[in-house]
Amino acid sequence: MAGPSSTLRADAVVIGTGAGGAPVAAHLAEAGAQVVMLEAGPRLETSELTGGEAEMTRRLYTLAQAAGSGLSLYAGACVGGSTLINDALCWRTPPEVLASWRDAHGLVELDDAGFAPFVDQAWRDLGASPTGRDHVNRNAHVLALGAQALGWANEAMPRSVQGCANLGLCNFGCPSGAKQSTLRTFVPRAERAGVRVVADARADRIEIAGGAARAVEATLLDTLSRRPRAALRVEAPLVVVAAGVLGTAPLLLRSGVAGGVGEQVQLHTSLHVTARFAEPIHGYYGPTMAWAVTEFSDVHGHGGPGFMIENTALHPVATASALPGFGAAHEASIARLPFLARALVVLRDEARGRFQTTSDGTPTLEHVLTDADRRRLHQGMCAIARLYFAAGAEEVILPIDGMPPLRDAVEIDELEGGSLDPRAASLLYAVHLFGGAAMGGAGSGAPCDAWGRVRGVRGLVVSDAAALPSNTGVNPQITIVANALRIGAALSREGAA
Amino acid sequence: MTGPGDGRAELEARLREPLEALAGLDRRTFLRLAAAVAAVGLAPTGCGDLSRPLAPPPGVALASLTPRSYAVFQAAALRLLGPKPAAIVASGAVDPAGLADAWLARLPELAATLHRGLLVLELAPWPVLPKLRPFTRLDGRSQDWVLRDLMLSASDWKRALFKGVKSFACLTFYASPPSRAVTRYPGPFGSAEVTIADAMRYDDGPGVPRGPDAADAPDGH
Repeated sequence: MAGPSSTLRADAVVIGTGAGGAPVAAHLAEAGAQVVMLEAGPRLETSELTGGEAEMTRRLYTLAQAAGSGLSLYAGACVGGSTLINDALCWRTPPEVLASWRDAHGLVELDDAGFAPFVDQAWRDLGASPTGRDHVNRNAHVLALGAQALGWANEAMPRSVQGCANLGLCNFGCPSGAKQSTLRTFVPRAERAGVRVVADARADRIEIAGGAARAVEATLLDTLSRRPRAALRVEAPLVVVAAGVLGTAPLLLRSGVAGGVGEQVQLHTSLHVTARFAEPIHGYYGPTMAWAVTEFSDVHGHGGPGFMIENTALHPVATASALPGFGAAHEASIARLPFLARALVVLRDEARGRFQTTSDGTPTLEHVLTDADRRRLHQGMCAIARLYFAAGAEEVILPIDGMPPLRDAVEIDELEGGSLDPRAASLLYAVHLFGGAAMGGAGSGAPCDAWGRVRGVRGLVVSDAAALPSNTGVNPQITIVANALRIGAALSREGAA
Repeated sequence: MTGPGDGRAELEARLREPLEALAGLDRRTFLRLAAAVAAVGLAPTGCGDLSRPLAPPPGVALASLTPRSYAVFQAAALRLLGPKPAAIVASGAVDPAGLADAWLARLPELAATLHRGLLVLELAPWPVLPKLRPFTRLDGRSQDWVLRDLMLSASDWKRALFKGVKSFACLTFYASPPSRAVTRYPGPFGSAEVTIADAMRYDDGPGVPRGPDAADAPDGH
């Protein structure tokens, strides 16, 4: 490539600065290791987070599309990773999920004694705290109202915030600095311990020789134009990959790692349902998400079909883009923005996808929703509609292109029992992605062992959501951080640094 | 001077360009456009016969779009966004195609795909799209018919094209402050009329669940 090149040497290089990478880097550095962190995205300090929807989306996000289901996939691409653009929601790892990881994936280490302490630690390190009335906006409130009217289980969700100013800009980095992203927690902690963070450094390939990881070859990008400007090589006997599910498996595949890499990818597929109320909702202020209807969840003892319903913010661009249709009808919907409420289905997908390499070498996620997934998405969509009418909505807008708004709950009866046609949905998307370099016990066929170590390659470890063997049914931030803390502690203990 | 044979050749030539563009549409790449509030753009070449309201403002240098692709995007955006947004665009307060051009300049890998998609939208005739003339020369109702065909099509690439153009039209228009005349969005930090504190204040109502107080809240199971 054009441009100068440089080489760094360290005890460990960590690829990614989000929930999976930053805790490991902090652990290693505090144990005395020299650590370099590489981040493909830019570093924006809190003072640079303008709250501008378009600008922040462009600078903080990466976007992709799943072939097959056509799902839009979103992830953070900045120092802090997805923790900088998520909704700060905190759920403990469901015991049912840990049990399945032990039983179906051979991860016997993930019992209460082996995992719960790290969940506790993640809870403390991220400053997770209950969401009180002062941070329940009307958008969350109407969801609670509807659930209460229908007798459905619901609750406020804890969040990792300190001093939330109700700006409603969680997804754009949180300009108030209240959100305890890794940019505010683990990254500064790692830097205090001597970690060097290199932003705008895209890891292209891991050099593997003699059955061991040796170095990472990266490209330094111009922070604004994103054009390559120089090459960087980081030599280290330990390479920790935490580039997010969209980054980790493709990087391993580009580096020649096989053995199940790229397989077993799961998502939480989501869709939005929007409702119009007579009174203003102002769903663009207050925490972007705060309330969950757990009635249909299949984790934390709920035993339902496997989806959650959560309120979600109503910023102009995202709302307009997700509303179905176009022209005058579309304008009529978005013109009522202050009166709109919105919630999403968070489906615990049954489907499993895989990364495939296209003819030009670009890995693409192949993912097809199962029939059961489509039925449950439809069920979730109808449930939200019913809930909003119970809360007093004047109309409900389903995310189906060509379908007029529903005016009455009776209309839902005609829809019940159907199955969602993904092709008709105005927006299907996922922000929770899992797998592609999953952990598994001996004989499981998984590419990584129970400590994220890539089988057959010494000194190569996966510590982000790509290492998780399945989706979790709940927002996964705490689980990812907990697993990274567990792996970081093990690496420090082993003296891998 | 042209004869019947020349007319047929001309028709074949006219069909060849959009159909080649169609064949070149990488579905996966194009689907990426619809992902999030991302992309859209269009085609190359001159703009000699474009209607005046769709031409780039005089003196504006396009970084990624061509005058023709600028016009196709603008024409589609006007129909997708609806009458009041279209009036705001016509007033010059917001230039969706100009903003799209700026975005595309930072997304070079998407520009080529967008270029092809918009070329198809502009030039592909029946039976590829339900029209016989370029998109920019159709009246509004006929343009809506084409957009509706894309939106409801069983074909993946048509729906991807629709979603990509719509997403980018919404991004460029609704991220611009003049769009608040349509949405009544007070802005990211509140306004004199609607403060954040006001927005968070409401009557809980009887028997309605509240968020837990800090002292008695569960901590997430």
